[in-house]
Amino acid sequence: MRKSLLIFFVFSVHIVLAQGPSIKVSGEVTKPLTLGAADLAGMKRVTVSMKDKDGNEHAYTGVAVGEILEMAGVTTGKQLRGENLTKYMLVKCADGYEVVFSLAELDADFTDRTVIIADQSEGKPLPPGKGPIRLVVPGEKKPARCTFQVTELVIRYAKE
Amino acid sequence: MKRLCIISLVLVFSAAWVGMPGPEPYTPVYPAYFGNRIDVPANNPMTVQGIQLGRMLFYETALSANHQLSCATCHRQELAFTDGRKFSAGVDGVLQERNTMSLANLLWERNFFWDGRARGLEQQAQTPLTNPHEMGQELSVSAARLQVLSIYPPLFRAAFGSDTIKGEMILKALAQFERTLISDNSLYDRYLKGVYKPTASEAAGIELFYGKGGCGHCHGGPKTYSELYHNNGLDSVSKDPGREKITGASYDRGRFRVVTLRNIALTAPYMHDGRFASLEEVVDHYSDHIVSSVTMSPFIQGNLNLTAEGKKDLLSFLRMLTDSSFIADPRFSDPFKTDRRSVVRTF
Repeated sequence: MRKSLLIFFVFSVHIVLAQGPSIKVSGEVTKPLTLGAADLAGMKRVTVSMKDKDGNEHAYTGVAVGEILEMAGVTTGKQLRGENLTKYMLVKCADGYEVVFSLAELDADFTDRTVIIADQSEGKPLPPGKGPIRLVVPGEKKPARCTFQVTELVIRYAKE
Repeated sequence: MKRLCIISLVLVFSAAWVGMPGPEPYTPVYPAYFGNRIDVPANNPMTVQGIQLGRMLFYETALSANHQLSCATCHRQELAFTDGRKFSAGVDGVLQERNTMSLANLLWERNFFWDGRARGLEQQAQTPLTNPHEMGQELSVSAARLQVLSIYPPLFRAAFGSDTIKGEMILKALAQFERTLISDNSLYDRYLKGVYKPTASEAAGIELFYGKGGCGHCHGGPKTYSELYHNNGLDSVSKDPGREKITGASYDRGRFRVVTLRNIALTAPYMHDGRFASLEEVVDHYSDHIVSSVTMSPFIQGNLNLTAEGKKDLLSFLRMLTDSSFIADPRFSDPFKTDRRSVVRTF
């Protein structure tokens, strides 16, 4: 009995450790998602360049937000019209910080800019405090929407 | 004739039912610069009667197991609803694990406690009421106690439409009252409204706070609060897990709520463990004693290395956030202070 309890405990700890931090996609989606590090590693990877506070361009690698939204069944591409253009994505971070993007800002049919969920910088895991998963928004003058430790993407309609 | 009588009776009762005064909606008043991202749950709208009842319950010692403690024991109005202690003691004399938080502008707050574990004031209120080391009484027992105190059943009826008191109503009334605790009349508010000219030291403090000091990054905006959690460089390894206990994420180790700075000069001691006895010590911490760790906020980049003048200026600004009318506002004071029997009449 004691042995099986021990095995159960070790197995449970392993699951928790293996799961690690993840990112949840919810709200106006047809398929709610929870993506862990392994899920992100298995998706189509992109690398973008963004100027950091040090004034230098750095390469960030991860998955395009548009790709994740499509996987979750969010209205993207040809579906992003009419009332769907009133939808926004709320990005929630571990420290409570929150920022918003309209869906059109993230869609390849609307913009050439690729916003990504990054898990690597210059080929290495992100540093503590910023990783394991962060948002990288190339081309913004202020880095205030390039958020750290992203935990959730919530899609909603803007309502008056 | 008989049918006519019945119809008349139905009409009379219907009219009486329609005419019955329900709880009167209450609209909180606050400056536009606080914004409207307020948090009032749809199932607990603020009403005049609910708030009045909540105020009484906030000061009601019958809600504690020993009949001696109320919410106000640890949340004293004159100290911006803190108690000046490092850790408050409960009905059994056991001390709390964390410092009692001040109460101000909770209308804009969504998650409560130092680690943000309670979603909404209604959920938050349940902990201090029932925790054996705080007020230590089950809600059902509290409800039964209030039921036999003659002043309460009519007040619950007025607030919630029923004089059969339930625990949930106690939580709702308390939450309604707490949402009215709005602090918006400090010198800083008067400065924001353009009716007060800061002294040279206060103006330099404001500049330092929002500029070089970077304090405004987390404590910023007119509310001096946004719902954030950070490890602010207190220890190399935090004894208290902070948010890690809630989320299970190692990067949340030692991460605690970024508190409001409203009335901060009145709410010593400071930090989740009350380790700093004075505001001067807090400023010294950020200036000279930051301890780096793996989970320290990336927004704290070492000591600020303030000059003596800079520290003085920062303190001048922080003292501008004291709202002397808030701590003396009769709407938030103890309704039982005069005569318990006349309480109902004073509303």
